[in-house]
Amino acid sequence: MSETAPSSQRLSPLVTVLLLIGAGIMLMPMLWTLLLSFKSNAALMADSGSAFMPPWTLENYAAIFQGSLTTRWLINSLIVSTGSTIGVLVLSSLAGYGFARLDFPFRRTLFVIVLLGLAVPEQAVILPRHQLFAMLGLHNSYPGLILPSLTGAFGVFFMTQYFRAIPPELDEAALLDGASRLTLFWKVLLPLTWPAQATLGVFTFLGSWNDYWWPLISATTSDYFTLTVGLASAQMNYAQTSGLGFLMAQAVFASIPILVVYIAFQKQIVRAMAGTAVR
Amino acid sequence: MSGLELIDVSKSYGATRVLDGVSLSIAPREFIAFLGPSGSGKSTLLRIIAGLETLDSGEVHLGGQRIDGLAPGARGIAMVFQHYALYPHMTVRENMAFGLINAKVPKDEIASRIAQAADILEIGSQLDKKPGQMSGGQRQRVAIGRAIVKQPRLFLLDEPLSNLDAALRSRTRVELAQLRNRVDAALIMVTHDQAEAMTLADRIVVMNDRRIQQVGTPAEVYARPANAFVARFVGSPAMAMLAGRVISGESGRLRVRLAGGAELQTAVAAAGIAADAPVEVGLRPEHVTLAPPGSGGIAATVELVERLGDRTFIYTRLAEGSEVIACAPGFSEVRPGDEVLLAIDAAAAHVFSADGTAHHPEASA
Ligand SMILES: Nc1ncnc2c1ncn2[C@@H]1O[C@H](COP(=O)(O)OP(=O)(O)OP(=O)(O)O)[C@@H](O)[C@H]1O
Ligand SMILES: [Mg+2]
Repeated sequence: MSETAPSSQRLSPLVTVLLLIGAGIMLMPMLWTLLLSFKSNAALMADSGSAFMPPWTLENYAAIFQGSLTTRWLINSLIVSTGSTIGVLVLSSLAGYGFARLDFPFRRTLFVIVLLGLAVPEQAVILPRHQLFAMLGLHNSYPGLILPSLTGAFGVFFMTQYFRAIPPELDEAALLDGASRLTLFWKVLLPLTWPAQATLGVFTFLGSWNDYWWPLISATTSDYFTLTVGLASAQMNYAQTSGLGFLMAQAVFASIPILVVYIAFQKQIVRAMAGTAVR
Repeated sequence: MSGLELIDVSKSYGATRVLDGVSLSIAPREFIAFLGPSGSGKSTLLRIIAGLETLDSGEVHLGGQRIDGLAPGARGIAMVFQHYALYPHMTVRENMAFGLINAKVPKDEIASRIAQAADILEIGSQLDKKPGQMSGGQRQRVAIGRAIVKQPRLFLLDEPLSNLDAALRSRTRVELAQLRNRVDAALIMVTHDQAEAMTLADRIVVMNDRRIQQVGTPAEVYARPANAFVARFVGSPAMAMLAGRVISGESGRLRVRLAGGAELQTAVAAAGIAADAPVEVGLRPEHVTLAPPGSGGIAATVELVERLGDRTFIYTRLAEGSEVIACAPGFSEVRPGDEVLLAIDAAAAHVFSADGTAHHPEASA
């Protein structure tokens, strides 16, 4: 696709200007949020235009750490997203290796079932899942929030394709080198899947971080809210006028981890978005 | 100590038979080449020996021990893969150490073996590079190095030279020849390049159609091919085959009338071949020369001239349609389209029965 031109290519001035305008429009709400977060609620209630004028304050950020549940929600989100990511990577790698390399009964059938999983929308299973989790007493717990993401078929499919692309000669060389199956998997194949792990990991993490629907259903006590659910609930509780600065500080605070992930994995994210083969 | 022994090895993929009752015996330090056309089962046989492929029936023994039930890593065999199969994420040193670590070889022993192999292959300065940073020729050496450090009883090489350019190819060929002198092991090399097999191997195993067609030294395979297939497959340019009929045995030697009418008095013993039996007469290029005009040669039309400098191969076609390749010393001036006369050294001709059985010329009494 032409929009993924190599960065070394010079852009024409017109394109540069258009891109700058586009970026400005995208950035505006974020900068506005950042600005508002440094103003006291009272000042904003009087006139939100005062955001451009001092005095600025850190009191909204202080409020997050004193008494509000935002830190707790942040930690919940971190636990759930990290747990989902690790779980998906482990399961997908093992399953992908199995589907790509091992010969076992019903392998094809099972793989087709996995592929069918890609076609089932979450909406179709969320009700039975809710009932199942209620029966098992999994609501309002970390496992209850993490487990559903581990059933995703995409990771298995993705890793299977990646393992298939590794030349089988490498396995054979390792077998002749006296490697056990475990050594072969751990020391030879898995290190080669690092780019795939990074891509899949980043997407799982972001997906889990931004997930709203399932945590909204599963976590009913605010102790188990994730950030998305927590922030939304806060917006309902505080009239947007009376707590605007605090609300914005929450939003800024909540986006720090995701910003870190984006910066750390920029390369993988851009590649995955551009759809180029990751190697 | 005995080398490698294959006993009646057979292999099918589904309903397709790939190897059919292959038996072969190789001495402990022999250099063997598997030679054959594409799809003849060379790689499959190699992989069965390595343990990468199971066999349907038969036995494999190495050094007096039956190995066909053993895991690939437990057979004392090292293999150099066609595409090298180096571990891309490991340095050269780690690539070579991997098998030794798995075999629990002590650390300093590993270091000294790697140093020694690196020395032999002149890759000492590359040990900390990754395969991706190396040229094809260098990767090839690393692959060989990885095999050497294991000190195997048998080296297997699947088309080791096919990925190299011409210059590197002949250099690596020399190195393979040196390698066999350095290691105390047998070597089997798969190739479909007969020049490679001829230069390097002590014995050549010619394979075709699921079976071993002939096992012999390069000289034997060339001079006394076991059947029409081997005769045609070995030698470049290939042996010409002329259809004919036996007309009589003269002093115990076959006389053959070719389809074009010419008669050849061969040096092949007539015993066991019926008069009037259809046969093919095999003629190597070096036994066919251009006859001076007016002499009693066989008429032919030149189709292609291959001038190699020291000699010229002249591809001709007889009136009845068969192709015959003649050889002239030096730089011949004939051109495609020329009418020439061929002089045939009938005493050197091979004769093949309709079933492919070979009959070789006997030294004249
Ligand atoms: N995994 C497989 N499944 C089915 N058929 C196979 C398989 N591997 C090889 N064959 C078939 O077995 C036959 C022998 O293959 P093999 O690779 O041993 O030939 P080869 O002599 O090494 O040929 P080449 O010179 O092209 O490497 C071929 O007809 C091939 O199609
Ligand atoms: Mg092959």
